[in-house]
Amino acid sequence: MATDSPDAPASRDRAVDSATAEGAPGVPHPAFAAYADEPVPQAPVGAPGKDGVLELRFSAAADGTALVSDYATVPFHVSGTLGHDPHPDAETVFVQSPTGGVAQGDRHDVTVAVGPEAVAHVSTGSSTKVQSMDRNYARAETTLSVGAGGHLDYVPEPTILHADARYCRETSLHLAPGATAVLSEVVVPGRLARGERFDFERYFSRVTAESADGRLLEDTAHLAPADGDPTAPGVLGEFAVFGTTFVVAPDRDTAAMSDALHGVVAPGDARAGATELPNGAGVAVRALGDRAETVRATFHDAWNHARQALLDAPAPSGRKY
Amino acid sequence: MSDDGTLEAFRLADSFLPVGTYTVSYGLEQFVQDGRVEDAGDLEALLATYLRRQLGPADLVVVRAAHAAARAGDADAIIEADRRLTAATMAAEFRESAEQSGDRLLSLQRELRDDELLDAYAAGVETGAAPGNFPAVLGVAAGLAGVEERTACLLCCHGFVTGLLGAAQRLLSLGHTEAQRVLDDLRPVMVEAVEDSAGRSLDALSPFAPLVDVLAAEHERAERRLFVS
Repeated sequence: MATDSPDAPASRDRAVDSATAEGAPGVPHPAFAAYADEPVPQAPVGAPGKDGVLELRFSAAADGTALVSDYATVPFHVSGTLGHDPHPDAETVFVQSPTGGVAQGDRHDVTVAVGPEAVAHVSTGSSTKVQSMDRNYARAETTLSVGAGGHLDYVPEPTILHADARYCRETSLHLAPGATAVLSEVVVPGRLARGERFDFERYFSRVTAESADGRLLEDTAHLAPADGDPTAPGVLGEFAVFGTTFVVAPDRDTAAMSDALHGVVAPGDARAGATELPNGAGVAVRALGDRAETVRATFHDAWNHARQALLDAPAPSGRKY
Repeated sequence: MSDDGTLEAFRLADSFLPVGTYTVSYGLEQFVQDGRVEDAGDLEALLATYLRRQLGPADLVVVRAAHAAARAGDADAIIEADRRLTAATMAAEFRESAEQSGDRLLSLQRELRDDELLDAYAAGVETGAAPGNFPAVLGVAAGLAGVEERTACLLCCHGFVTGLLGAAQRLLSLGHTEAQRVLDDLRPVMVEAVEDSAGRSLDALSPFAPLVDVLAAEHERAERRLFVS
């Protein structure tokens, strides 16, 4: 097996990284520096199939939103758009994967660009499984942008962290004036049905959002169960599954939306609450539960409400099969 | 550290400092209401979470950045650190509490000291360019008074914990000796939080306590409450 190129990120990757991890170029967070030196015994970092690229570009057209360009390399696959959105102008893409999930040494790069006045919904067809690892780590960088007056729903299915997984993801959102977005992230800390729970090694996820006026928010989830108990009081407590839905809408009445969303999510089966985002950027909904389904259902309710408030149309049904 | 710096550190760490500590509980009130904190043991465990998940990876990083910026006379860098803490704090009530205490400390410091940097930073807060969060103001006050950076971090932990112990005494039946024992027991966790914050840049702010955020959201809507957070 070729192991001569343990970690060869693209130069662009390196430029982005150097801003966040002093002294360790090519590494998104210092905690991942030691992993980065470990050669991957199978296909090395950067080999075909390891550097997955996905680019989706949506534009507003006379008869609604169109997917004007798409580019996908393994492990991403796009088989066209779906026309089931209750919003008349919205376009939907479910990103598929022909692989068993995210493996050690994977470096994924996702770009979704929504043009002015366009409405797009991007999700995945099934959960993302982050496989067990004993070398290196896996990383996903997602860059989302929404043009003036446009809207993006980026609501992938849950991420499942298998035993010994090391996963780092960074999601950045840029909004033009009048643009809005809903971002959702649900994390399942193991294959719960087989008793695997918090056996992953490290999970790091940072979400940032900015508008033309600058940084709106940055939220980081960082769990390494060996270094700190995720079930400590106030962290996850008695719950296992956790997640956040961000309704980013800096030009809207976010205080009212926060109260309304709290009213929607608080009575559900998940333990959930809504609060106004910093800088009047919108609303964050945090939810904790015992199973992915309860958190997912709570977020679907929140998304449905946010969609009605922002677009005057409900969310599409959560069913994908 | 000079005697003057040490005395300033004592003053800033004292619950006698009029920054409205008695009005904030950072979610503790809701944890008591929800039956999650019933005795000194529960309280200590929750305070350890605050130290490990909020102060170490966020507040103290901002104390350090503001301290360094104050030593360097760089008002813009203070404002940047201050803004980053706001952007990284999801619970709206926590932002309000930090701004309220920060505002009081900043006004107080300006009454006591004439300082151009303090004026420049306060001007930023007045125009809305800076939120005026307590950890940023504390870092500036400590830096200007010659309180060492590490001492400033330790006193931030001490002030936070004593503030919440004061809140706990009003919410639970918690004796003075028990409160002192919790404070004493949490010493190693405070040191751990200070160590964790060392060498972190503002790009590495990562407070993470989702259940605290959920309970803070419930507290926002609670009908009867003693504390603003």
